[in-house]
Amino acid sequence: MKYLYYPGCAMETTGVPIQMSIDAISNVLGIEFETMKDWTCCGCPGEAINELAAVSLAARNLALAEKSDLDLVAPCSCCYRNLLGAHVILSEDRKVRAQVKEALAAAGLEYKGTVKVRTLIDVLINDVGLELIRSKVKNQLSGLKVGAYYGCHQSRPYGPDHPEFPVWQDWIVESLGAESVFFPLKAQCCGGAQLFSQRAMVTELVARLLNNAEVHGAKCIASTLCPLCFTNLDVNQGRIKNRAGSNFAMPIVAISQLMGVAFGLPPRDLGLHKNVSPVDKVLAPYLQVRI
Amino acid sequence: MYVIKEAKAFVDAVANEPGGEKINECIQCGVCSGSCTTVEWWEYPPRKLIAMIRAGMKEQVLSSASAFNCVTCYLCTVRCPRDIKPSALMHAVMAIAEREGYKPKTPTLTLFRTLRESMKRGRIWDFGMAARFYFSSNIFNGFKVMPVALALISRGLMPIMPPKPIKSGEIKAILNKVRSIQGTGGKR
Ligand code: SF4
Ligand code: SF4
Repeated sequence: MKYLYYPGCAMETTGVPIQMSIDAISNVLGIEFETMKDWTCCGCPGEAINELAAVSLAARNLALAEKSDLDLVAPCSCCYRNLLGAHVILSEDRKVRAQVKEALAAAGLEYKGTVKVRTLIDVLINDVGLELIRSKVKNQLSGLKVGAYYGCHQSRPYGPDHPEFPVWQDWIVESLGAESVFFPLKAQCCGGAQLFSQRAMVTELVARLLNNAEVHGAKCIASTLCPLCFTNLDVNQGRIKNRAGSNFAMPIVAISQLMGVAFGLPPRDLGLHKNVSPVDKVLAPYLQVRI
Repeated sequence: MYVIKEAKAFVDAVANEPGGEKINECIQCGVCSGSCTTVEWWEYPPRKLIAMIRAGMKEQVLSSASAFNCVTCYLCTVRCPRDIKPSALMHAVMAIAEREGYKPKTPTLTLFRTLRESMKRGRIWDFGMAARFYFSSNIFNGFKVMPVALALISRGLMPIMPPKPIKSGEIKAILNKVRSIQGTGGKR
């Protein structure tokens, strides 16, 4: 199984623990990633106030990806959505297509429209398969109640999982021997980049969904691979009260980190020592060494 | 007659902006407002904003911070019965407000400008972007997020030094072309 890989800017900063665990589990599962050469920002940060700029920058990356015939995997949900979104807009909208063609030509590039953009979760479910994942589990995560958190862009608006009540991460959680807990806000927004400008609003959004997961019995969150979602949940807890009225301490792990724990990989290889939320206690029964 | 013409000019401008195309097909069902993740922060929720655009209330719409509360969660878009893509419509409103120099009371406009600027390096430099944003909006808010920043910096998750610019020449060529296509010439 070989794929072209688009890490995205945040995977090199806040997403480092996620990237470490992705490397570790893909090694176990036999997934080979060829990182795109000269990839640049997907354009998503410009989307709100300049859609044409966002689509054009995404198209630059698509044009480079097109030189390979491998599927393009983007683990960050925002990158995935913006790259796929650009592909969709370019195939549907003639006016935008002409404009983007002109913009790309300024850099000597052209996008013909043939790239298949996918999430890593999609690859894990549909190419790797739960059977293979199950076969690699060394530490059954029995007794662990996990809330799978998806965020928005991994399945909204383009799918391929259900746009409002996605299930694929729950399936992965269950295949590791853990119990996946349903909570209604599992695909609610983390607040994204507005964390910087409207911190109170974003903290409230995070508080709601963590409270919701806690009320439904989750003891930890297996987050989507999006570094924005992961970080917003992981670092914002100090200011939030839980049901009991004390400050929140919900352990947040990326789903790739949880898979690594079940596969028996050393926690340091999974970047678990870099998580801000307290993950050691809840994972200790399944680890041979301390984080 | 005059009023109707003015009203039409504004709704046409929104319909001409990428994402605004379908504004005239909205049936005002309110599903977008009812779905909106952040609706309690909006002065005029999405459905109302659409009604106001169609009534030609340009000043009120573009001076309001409402659309800037959109976190681009796409709930409205997957639910809208007329396939309007209200999320894209909100982006269109933000784009026009930004371009025409309106000053809605929200730091998010500055954030989006900073983000757009930071794409020019080829890859986003989180720390530099954040510093720049707090300096140009409200430096005290920057101090308030220090604990979070330190948690990230101490774990090596927020490099203080900028990464090497990647293909920034290509990026600038593309973005300059985009700007000339949009006819916003010298303005940023
Ligand atoms: S959901 Fe769609 S049709 Fe209904 S009010 Fe919103 S934009 Fe209009
Ligand atoms: S995309 Fe924006 S307008 Fe639509 S529901 Fe989400 S926050 Fe509200």
